[in-house]
Amino acid sequence: MPGTPYTLTLPNGLRIVAEHLPAVRSAAFQFLVPAGAVTDPDGQEGSATVLEGLAYRGAGSRNARELSDGLDALGVQRAGGAELEAASYGGALLADDLHAALEIYSDILLRPHLPADQLGAEQALALQKLERLEDSPSDKLFLRLRKAYYPGNYGRTALGTAEGVKALTAEAIRADHARRYRPEGSVMAVAGRFDWGALSETIHRLFGEWAGAAPPFLTPDNTGRERYVHIQKDTNQEQIGIMYPSVPVGHPEYYATRMALSVLSGGMAARLFTEVREKRGLCYAVRASHSNVRGSGAIVAYAGTTPERCQETLTVLIGELRRLAEGVTEAELTRARTGVLSDLVMQSEAARSRAAGIARDQYVLGRVRTMEEIREGVEAVTVEDIRAHLQRYPAEDFTIVTLGPVELEVQA
Amino acid sequence: MKFEKAILDNGLTIIGEHNPSALSLATGYFVRTGARDETAEVSGVSHFLEHMLFKGSERRSADDVNREFDEIGADYNAFTGEEYTVYYGAVLPEHQARMLDILTDMMRPSLRVEDFTMEKNVILEEIALYKDRPQFTVIDEVRSTYYQQHPLGQSVLGTAESITALERDQMYEYWQRRYAPNNLILAITGQFDWEATLRQAEESTRRWEPADSPRATPDFTPTSRVKVVQNEKIHRAHLAFVSPGVSAQDPQRYIADIIADMIGGGDGSRLYWELIEPGTADSVRLSHDEEDGAGAFFGYASCDPEKAQLVLDKIRGVLERVTVEGFREEEIVRAKRKVASALVLHDETPRGRLFHVGFDWQYRQEHRPLDEVIDRFLAVTPQDVQNFLARRPFDAMTVVALGPVASIA
Repeated sequence: MPGTPYTLTLPNGLRIVAEHLPAVRSAAFQFLVPAGAVTDPDGQEGSATVLEGLAYRGAGSRNARELSDGLDALGVQRAGGAELEAASYGGALLADDLHAALEIYSDILLRPHLPADQLGAEQALALQKLERLEDSPSDKLFLRLRKAYYPGNYGRTALGTAEGVKALTAEAIRADHARRYRPEGSVMAVAGRFDWGALSETIHRLFGEWAGAAPPFLTPDNTGRERYVHIQKDTNQEQIGIMYPSVPVGHPEYYATRMALSVLSGGMAARLFTEVREKRGLCYAVRASHSNVRGSGAIVAYAGTTPERCQETLTVLIGELRRLAEGVTEAELTRARTGVLSDLVMQSEAARSRAAGIARDQYVLGRVRTMEEIREGVEAVTVEDIRAHLQRYPAEDFTIVTLGPVELEVQA
Repeated sequence: MKFEKAILDNGLTIIGEHNPSALSLATGYFVRTGARDETAEVSGVSHFLEHMLFKGSERRSADDVNREFDEIGADYNAFTGEEYTVYYGAVLPEHQARMLDILTDMMRPSLRVEDFTMEKNVILEEIALYKDRPQFTVIDEVRSTYYQQHPLGQSVLGTAESITALERDQMYEYWQRRYAPNNLILAITGQFDWEATLRQAEESTRRWEPADSPRATPDFTPTSRVKVVQNEKIHRAHLAFVSPGVSAQDPQRYIADIIADMIGGGDGSRLYWELIEPGTADSVRLSHDEEDGAGAFFGYASCDPEKAQLVLDKIRGVLERVTVEGFREEEIVRAKRKVASALVLHDETPRGRLFHVGFDWQYRQEHRPLDEVIDRFLAVTPQDVQNFLARRPFDAMTVVALGPVASIA
């Protein structure tokens, strides 16, 4: 198991976290810049996505083609995109080329050309991605569910709105870059094989001159959330989404929630899979997971099923969410614990998943939880902790969204 | 990375590749059976059977299988394709024996009627799920349009009709022929004990009887068809296209993979600059699929419906241009580099590595260490690429357009 991660904060506020993984010959890196949908300027929803796309269309001394060819020549497997709370940039590659790749990414983040003549193409892509949601029913459901749950900025999607995307101008994009692409508030994470001394030197050289602070983070707020929304659509399956309050990562009861969810939806012996799919054959896909934004946690449950069985599916699903508060068995908790701890070890075998994990921790929590800390947190949870936690955070006050041919009967 | 191999008297092949620095192990059964080995009557049986193996054996109920996997913290699943069915799991090394016991026991399922009847509902839900996702259905559609009567054109999921009509005894009969030990490979990778693996496999499969598990590999003449599946409920135009490639046994597959990457391997490929950069389409890709005795380039694009013809013409234009003009040398060098780093990243976990080790054996009865595979890619020369393109592989192309599109040519 890897040990304590390296941390570094540059004088300009950029926070760096890095974890050495002895078993790999690759390195993965991820930047999280506080330029997600939440802080898109009002009336310009979608700016995060368009800006992220434009950043690759030439930066520093390279035009768009040279930049792309430069990354490919290093074998960078690119990842990232605009998200709700951040714009993510990153990739993975053979460890020897890490420094050369970071060099190109420093141009992308600090010195993008943001060419005015390419704005139209990025807007066209953003509008098409919005349209594509219509052909992806579950994606559309989840976005609408979050919007119903968080009526404010946290209900936005990174894709923005058609109006917001169309309203963007080259000047607006430049101003947005100047405002939000700043070191104070940004995070950089590296996992895999590297030499920390050499890496921190490179980071100082590439990012030391960056200056400024991004606007402060907003607080998520779910007051006034919607209770039931139905989207009528002539599909083969009905999509069902349920969201209700829980605790965020970093909360003292977070691990109790995590273990409760694992009992509910961890493996194939977990309750939802057993009761909804195995015993009743109602669904192919059914699951529940923890949804976390800065300082706010929620449970999201999902099922997709054909119209004739959707009312029954909703009833069984809600029944299982509520039954959890009656308590879990020692055997269930033991299985949940084994699964979570085993996942933790296996995650540390892959540079990409670990880089994403520590980047997110640093960004949302302000620090990285070590593997040991997570292990201790998980092992400490008892059956009684879960029962007490679910008394305080019961499965009730649902926000429900359905998409499909049938509007369901929903009791608040 | 030391390699191990044994073939038991019953015909079961067991292979292993050690990785002393791994923290986990991955193991799985690779069954040489899939949609192509089905008759029309039992279309979808391979995939349905894959679900049924999780329903238990004489020794285990369905609940037992799921519970025991979870008890050892396994990251496990299964998948079915046109020509393989794979059951796998990754665990920490201390659970090796139990993992092998569950997986091996699954290969001898009870196929109880009540489980069969219940699981049929789940399969029908899975079919309904994919019907709502045109980006998946268009790929199935182009496959059957391209392969026509050839077995590789057969559907993995089957249809609601074929699944509804399927009976338990038909499945049992299929299982008996296809899950004989001589048609299975047990593979293991990462941090494992080989002697213990071998002993346990010998002991637990002693009563397994070999059987005749033939596979038809008829010749195939590539087709060039254009088909429109007009559907006004869909918002985007989903285009899929197929051209002939090379088989999993053909040494030219390394060249074909590099060519596919240069044409449509994501950002920076020829199709990216032609279609995504100007915002003409929102998605486009091309990959090369190597199959048993045949292979093909599979492409996909999505765009505004009114641009479907334009996008298709531009794709054809790119394919014609690379066929006539070829690629620049630095383009080939970059593609090789990209493919090599993708392989290293994919194979750095025992779970990722398992699939390459298992399929290398299933398709070619060979073990290729990762570094050797990378060397094969790096050895591709501009001359190899030119020779491959000289046969004009993209002249034959079958296209399907799905969505609110009336016609396409």
